[in-house]
Amino acid sequence: MDSVDALIAQIQGLSSSPEDINALHTHLNQSEELLLSNVNRLANSLEQLDPSKHSLGYLYLLEASTSGPISREQSGEIVRCIARFIMTCEAEQIRLAPEKFLSVCKRLKDQVMLLQVPIQGIAPLRGAVHKLQSSPEHLTPLHPDFLLLCIMAKCYKAGRSVLSDDIIEVDQPKDFFLYCYYGGMIHVGLKNFRKALEYLHNVVTAPMTSLNAIAIEAYKKYILVSLIYSGQVPAFPKYTSSVAQRNLKCYSQPYIDLVSSYATGKISELETCFEANMEKYKSDNNVGLVKQVLSSLSKRNIQRLTQTYLTLSLQDIANLVQLGNSKQAEMHVLEMIQDGEIFATINQKDGMVSFHEDPEQYKSCEMIERIDSSIQRVMALTKTLHAIDERISCDPAYLAKMGRERPRFDLDDFDSVPQKFL
Amino acid sequence: MDFSLLSEALSSKSYEKVSEICDELMLQAAAQGINFQDEWPHAIHLLGHLYINDVNSARFLWKSIPLLIKENQPEIVAVWKIGQRLWTRDYAGVHEAVRGFNWSSDVLNFVVAFSEKYTKKMFDLLLSAYSTISVADTALFLGMSEEDATNYALQYGWTVDPASKMLTVKKLPVVREQKLEPSKLQRLTEYVFHLEH
Repeated sequence: MDSVDALIAQIQGLSSSPEDINALHTHLNQSEELLLSNVNRLANSLEQLDPSKHSLGYLYLLEASTSGPISREQSGEIVRCIARFIMTCEAEQIRLAPEKFLSVCKRLKDQVMLLQVPIQGIAPLRGAVHKLQSSPEHLTPLHPDFLLLCIMAKCYKAGRSVLSDDIIEVDQPKDFFLYCYYGGMIHVGLKNFRKALEYLHNVVTAPMTSLNAIAIEAYKKYILVSLIYSGQVPAFPKYTSSVAQRNLKCYSQPYIDLVSSYATGKISELETCFEANMEKYKSDNNVGLVKQVLSSLSKRNIQRLTQTYLTLSLQDIANLVQLGNSKQAEMHVLEMIQDGEIFATINQKDGMVSFHEDPEQYKSCEMIERIDSSIQRVMALTKTLHAIDERISCDPAYLAKMGRERPRFDLDDFDSVPQKFL
Repeated sequence: MDFSLLSEALSSKSYEKVSEICDELMLQAAAQGINFQDEWPHAIHLLGHLYINDVNSARFLWKSIPLLIKENQPEIVAVWKIGQRLWTRDYAGVHEAVRGFNWSSDVLNFVVAFSEKYTKKMFDLLLSAYSTISVADTALFLGMSEEDATNYALQYGWTVDPASKMLTVKKLPVVREQKLEPSKLQRLTEYVFHLEH
């Protein structure tokens, strides 16, 4: 019996109780060299193990056996093997070796991308995210990979299963940036612009000490989505990092131009700007979004009319909003009524539209349910924030830093007081 | 592949579940590396999205279907034609697309159910958006002859002016539940307590 066989026997023997598994874990860590020097044999050895029972051992062998270069012929089988493992493995066991698990999952992602079958990795990575995370609030490095596959496979809806969780715990800043960027793109795909804006906003305003490419691309999309959703781009909130406030705009001039031509309300001006910067938008892969910005302008102009007029003829709407004829105006108004963007009734007999106030009186049971659930969510959030705040104020690293800075501030204060009174 | 859930949903006419069932089945089949495209019920899957008014997902699904399959199965193209009309808000065109194809027996019931739901939705839209509308336009929106459309509208208390061929819409009073349960009061107390601490 040689050493690989011995290891297999140990994995089979030590995979039931938690103590055994801990012992096995130590042993596996010591056997890494053995595994790496027997890479070619491992695929066969794997067949003697059951991924659902011997998850930890299986993981080490799988990781080692896929660590070398993978040929195109092997690729399909390896992807299936990793997928099967992820779906059946036991979460408790693989969490002992998160690094190994991550590396196996990354390999799956790379392979399905190479084979151009991103859809093949969606279900396995979704399972992997849930098995690896300690709670639904925990952002793992697998989140962005999973969302990327959803985008590549155009399975935007599948992404929602992970995006619906509120994230509080983040391991690596890069994971967070990518997660929010891809999350924004998924919601853009689903035309859920309010949510998209929220995700992109999180990228742009996240703490950063130096500018990164993800933030720049996110800012461009943020501008476009913001125009589509609200017709304007709000200023940076004050908690935005100074790096982002100072630099983001320089990198997105074609988009800033779009904002100013949008503000004029003139479709012709917006179109000129679009033509002029077409190449830039194209190379940024944002043409689709920019086109949606263009078509949102007519709607926005109609919306503005509702603030001024109570009734208006369809012909007047067509003239004011620069639409071809009154029928087109009617269709625009109808679309907006259908989408709940305005409240109005069309009178075809007289060719008139009357605009109304929002009929919601905020006293129905349904509305109260909604407000109620919002309050509850805010309350839960406040509690979490308090807990985090307390944890940070007890954190030795934080206290040490604050302790170093505080005396300086105190001295300054102390110095300035007498001067003022002198 | 195990299509039992799907056939169950179809036979019990739980059409609103179809898109979700198909989405999940597709992910599972793909994960196992099965080459599912050839025998996949694309037409049903597309319709499932359209039935719950998710034209976005239908569009993405359409884009992911291999060209060869689209060429060999005209029914998929016909379903997507409905999707296209919905996408461009060609309200009358949707009815044309529904009528414009000889649907296979598997798909026929589903298309009929979609069409009925769509007609109902269009009627609700007219109800909320118009105070008066021509008989001709009503017929287009509802996908009926002018006579049928007039009769349909009259059932709901609309009135017709034969001279101008205009229908006057009768708005329905909106009934909303406004009663509060005692448990809400309890919650309110908790909120105040929370705010004070």
